[in-house]
Amino acid sequence: MKHKLLPLSETMHYILLALREPLHGYAVMQKIEEISKGSVILAAGTLYGAIENLNKHGWIEPVGHSGRRKIYKITTEGSAILKMEQERLTHILSLYEGSELNEEV
Amino acid sequence: MKRFKVFFNIEKEEQWLNEQLQRGYRCTNISKLGIYSFEKTDKRYVIRLDCRDYFPKQKFVEYKEIYEDFGWSYITGSWLGGIRYWQKKDSDQNEIFSDNQSKSNYYKRLMGYSLLLGSFCLAYSFMLFNNSLLYHDGLWRMEGSLFWKALVFETPFVLLKLLPVLMVVLFSRSYYKAYQKYSVLKSQ
Repeated sequence: MKHKLLPLSETMHYILLALREPLHGYAVMQKIEEISKGSVILAAGTLYGAIENLNKHGWIEPVGHSGRRKIYKITTEGSAILKMEQERLTHILSLYEGSELNEEV
Repeated sequence: MKRFKVFFNIEKEEQWLNEQLQRGYRCTNISKLGIYSFEKTDKRYVIRLDCRDYFPKQKFVEYKEIYEDFGWSYITGSWLGGIRYWQKKDSDQNEIFSDNQSKSNYYKRLMGYSLLLGSFCLAYSFMLFNNSLLYHDGLWRMEGSLFWKALVFETPFVLLKLLPVLMVVLFSRSYYKAYQKYSVLKSQ
């Protein structure tokens, strides 16, 4: 059955990618700003809700504290989701590259 | 500066609050009874209203910390759940939601909130009208000036009795408004 968070939204996708290394909430936002070249800047409520949601589904988990802030990291299940999304997107990209070929046929 | 206001629509409330802040005020407190306190400031502030269910203590700490990291300060909110008031210095990041998914979830929570309060008022209205009519029964048997005097006397109480019914209507309206925004975001 299809999961309700799939395909991943841009926000969820970036959070999972950022949490391949352990980070606390605000650092996730900063990391995403950096890796998206400034095009994705998460707001507080969006980040809070997304972390809650991903944690609830077991795709990320708290792994400790930095001061009072909770640090999260992606789980094995979360990594499997990223792998699936990677395959889906790779397929779509291959269609982009193959489009000229198809037109010739 | 103190202002007394009652809102049944969260977005209207947010809009009104931000109008006060644009006039050079900063909100310092909001009481449960609808008294909004402001103080003069030469900085610009913005307020955003969030709507969240009841938080266990630990969850609330986490929620608050994330918002505070982004520069928001918590004004107030009910521990039971509902509206939470956040204020922050005006900057280029003034929103608490940055994507459609979280925005539509927000409107969904608003719908739940209005529905809950609306049902509460509805249940209360039923209780109120179950064992008594709007006007006292004897009123309709009175004649002449006595009737008019009694009618004028009773009318304020009748209006008071109708208040929960009016609140049902207002909460239904804010439910519908939130539903409209929710469905627009959902269809995008």
